[in-house]
Amino acid sequence: MSMEKSQKPKRVASQSSRYMLIFPLLVLVIYGVLFVLTPEQALVALKSSGKVCLNILLPLALVFVVMLVLNLFVKPAQIVHLLGSGANIKGILLSVAAGIISMGPIYVWYPLLKELREKGAGNMPIAVFLYNRAVKPFLLPVMIAYFGWVYVVILTVLTVLASIVNGYLIGIFAKTKTG
Amino acid sequence: MKIAISAEGADLASNVAHRFGLSPYLLVVDTETMDFKALANPQATSRSGAGVQSVIFAIGEGVEVVLTGYCGPVAHDQLVSNGIRVITNVSGMIKEVIEKYKAGDFGRGLTVEEQKEQTTRYIDRDTFVRALRSSVKQFANILPILIGVVLCIGLFNAFVSKEALASIFSGNVVLDTLWGACFGSILAGNPINSYVIGAALLNHGIALFAVTALILTWVTVGLVQLPAEIASLGLRFALLRSALCLVLAIPVAILTVMILNFITG
Repeated sequence: MSMEKSQKPKRVASQSSRYMLIFPLLVLVIYGVLFVLTPEQALVALKSSGKVCLNILLPLALVFVVMLVLNLFVKPAQIVHLLGSGANIKGILLSVAAGIISMGPIYVWYPLLKELREKGAGNMPIAVFLYNRAVKPFLLPVMIAYFGWVYVVILTVLTVLASIVNGYLIGIFAKTKTG
Repeated sequence: MKIAISAEGADLASNVAHRFGLSPYLLVVDTETMDFKALANPQATSRSGAGVQSVIFAIGEGVEVVLTGYCGPVAHDQLVSNGIRVITNVSGMIKEVIEKYKAGDFGRGLTVEEQKEQTTRYIDRDTFVRALRSSVKQFANILPILIGVVLCIGLFNAFVSKEALASIFSGNVVLDTLWGACFGSILAGNPINSYVIGAALLNHGIALFAVTALILTWVTVGLVQLPAEIASLGLRFALLRSALCLVLAIPVAILTVMILNFITG
């Protein structure tokens, strides 16, 4: 075991930050070109974007509040502790919890997951953790605003159940040497 | 019992390093046998976040006590919340420090439970400011792509006709769901973007089956991050996991909409 594995995500993160700015700038350039070629349609597009923006403002404010609460009470080390609880029922349920409360881009988690597997955490809890990242408590306000709470509850429950099925299948098929 | 010590060097003859997380080495010593493991710390010169990696290693090694000169509040809270006792103001040669610890020279100090109670009793100003900073940073990371996606939705609404979409999404439940799952697998980023895109697709008459599959695979399958997953978790695991997630998204999406229709009539 070595701590050297933690250096890679920093490089990936800085590349990702650059990519994050390129995308909206590229879309703005497309808008610029369209305003020259078809100004009326481009204006319709801009107004439509403005409408989407207004609809998302309040849910976004709630997203920030939930994010703050999670940052106050959830620490990365607690998540690692939950994940290292083994492949029994308790361990799987803790992996579900770890996946749900984990935040930030996925590439930050890969080196830690690798470490945990080398320590014998097993493929199943790792697969369960990765699947449950689809459940994002801090984004629920936006999801509910768009799709309604009944849909969100059903999808969340089914996602958690599917994560266990997924983990179980991974546990069987990836049992032999990984990589 | 295993104890972790921030160290200047990789052996027991080294001195205790002053700062946990920024020390060149972290020594994990078994106090019964005096066997030890030295972990090099490449983050020794990092300005922020260095302690977290050391905390994770300490937890992973099953350490019960940390001996160091100084431990930052974030690392301290994380160690204590994981049941590790933290003893600070420790200096001198590691071998002698361990002997002193075994002889009880560091006093009774606070137990893990007492330290835990102290750290969880209230949220102080520093903790709040740290959480606020993290939240602002995370929020700022979401915004650029989200703005780009919202602008794209405007273009989509203005320039893409329902007829054009109908050529891809034909109305066949399974095929449409499969298309949704495929789009979600190719695209990546914060899930909030998949909700915005999904809502726009719904407005264009695309079935909720397809939108649900898109939302699911957006996070669970990631072709963009597949190389990173392969590098960390292995080719077999990464490919198998992605393929299973793609396949699972279809029944989960269909079941979600069927239950929704059953409940809402």
